Amino acid sequence: MIVFDRVSFSYGALQILREISFSIKTDERVAVLGGSGDGKTTLLKLILGLLRADSGRIIIDGEDITDKAEDELRGVRMKFSIVFQEGALFDSLSVKENVAFCLREYTKLSEEEIDRKVRELLRRMGLEEAIEMMTEELSGGMHRRVAIARSLAAFEPKMFLYDEPTTGLDPVNADMICRLILDLSQNGKGVIIVTHKVFDAMKVANRFLFLKKGGIIFDGSKEQLMRTPIPEIETFLSELRPSRLL
Amino acid sequence: MIEHGRNGTAKIKELISDLQDFYLLSVRALLALTRKPFYFKDVVEQMDYVGAGSFIIILLVSLFIGMALSLQLSAELSGLGFKMYIGRIVGVSIIREIGPVLTGLIFAGRVGSGMASELGSMILGHQVDTLRVFGVDPVKKLVAPRILSSLIMLPALTFIGDAISMLGGYYIAVYVSHQSGAVYWSSIRGVINLENVLSGFVKPFVFAHLIACISCYMGLSTKGGAVGLRRSTTRAVVASFIMIIVADFILTRILLYVMGFSV
Repeated sequence: MIVFDRVSFSYGALQILREISFSIKTDERVAVLGGSGDGKTTLLKLILGLLRADSGRIIIDGEDITDKAEDELRGVRMKFSIVFQEGALFDSLSVKENVAFCLREYTKLSEEEIDRKVRELLRRMGLEEAIEMMTEELSGGMHRRVAIARSLAAFEPKMFLYDEPTTGLDPVNADMICRLILDLSQNGKGVIIVTHKVFDAMKVANRFLFLKKGGIIFDGSKEQLMRTPIPEIETFLSELRPSRLL
Repeated sequence: MIEHGRNGTAKIKELISDLQDFYLLSVRALLALTRKPFYFKDVVEQMDYVGAGSFIIILLVSLFIGMALSLQLSAELSGLGFKMYIGRIVGVSIIREIGPVLTGLIFAGRVGSGMASELGSMILGHQVDTLRVFGVDPVKKLVAPRILSSLIMLPALTFIGDAISMLGGYYIAVYVSHQSGAVYWSSIRGVINLENVLSGFVKPFVFAHLIACISCYMGLSTKGGAVGLRRSTTRAVVASFIMIIVADFILTRILLYVMGFSV
């Protein structure tokens, strides 16, 4: 369970989140929606302890991580698998080395075992032929899929976090990523997807949080989201109702 | 007026906070060099980038500086009848001062800017966050190998640069100023003593540490997209240049005192 209790966060003088509170079970599929700069990525970073809240408490599975030091956060971070925007692959490494990164860091597997595991993960992502490629040779969709493979390599996460996983992708690739996200969330694994693409969020999530001006202005199901009279959300949902744009 | 005062106070606070963070990063990186895990592969990669990549530039600049220095000295000392001192002055000035400072400045311009921009783009591309999520300490993985490789390669480059500068000085002294080669080399040999060599080789270690720490710190504190990256790269180079010159003066003062030179 992820609990945010009156959490505030600012970058210098710029307030990003103002006393937000919510809780998410680790088997839920949640989409965090909102415009650029509304604090969606910040929220994910706070969950992982990559940023420190100015005030309030963040509790992960009953453990208060708000003031934990970097080396105390490893256990918490291992519960999650995150795919950052555009994949955040290490561009000095090949696809194989990116996926094998954690295997080399944390396991004593032989070279053959690493190769087998990397191929298996890449095959699952439909990318086995890209194993020897460098990251600059990959398309946007391939980047995300390699990043997902890498995040699965060494740990068995309870929950997957995705930061704008379909941004900048064509509809075919975006759909492929959404199906992959759903596929990985089987067996009771949860998902938090941060996006401004409502259409993709609808495919993946069954609970929706909407961030605006540092606060949560909506928290509910797909049906509630579609019926909400909140103007900011209605504008956002116009993506789903193209006729309104005409 | 009050607003102006508040801005000034905020800037001073920010500067103090930056200095504190820089100091902590330097100490953590040095401690990381003594604790497992060690990233040997990253050190070798960095040595190739900072050392082999800078070799030709340092070779060229050192050669021409040595030649220019020898030419200036020839012009000045010929009239006084002291041409036989060209080798001695070239040797002392290259070994003690020009070699370490010049190599340090070139190193800061090429390697420092590269380190800052590479780490800055890793920050902006969330690669540093990814390392942290994977439980890898970015200071150990990214900063420590860069510091270690700089500590190894800058003194080596300085040594090579000094030798090339003296060779350039020899060419001018012998083929332009028509001095005896044997006299030039015997003057050079006369200044290659413990005091001068020590004086010339303490500096590159200090400069290497300063350049690598400043550049990594600036890179890791990058904020704000392409403009932020440009700012942190520029700041890394400018701060490294200033620190090299300041540290050079302080080290020269200390080393002259320690070596027992009277000023």
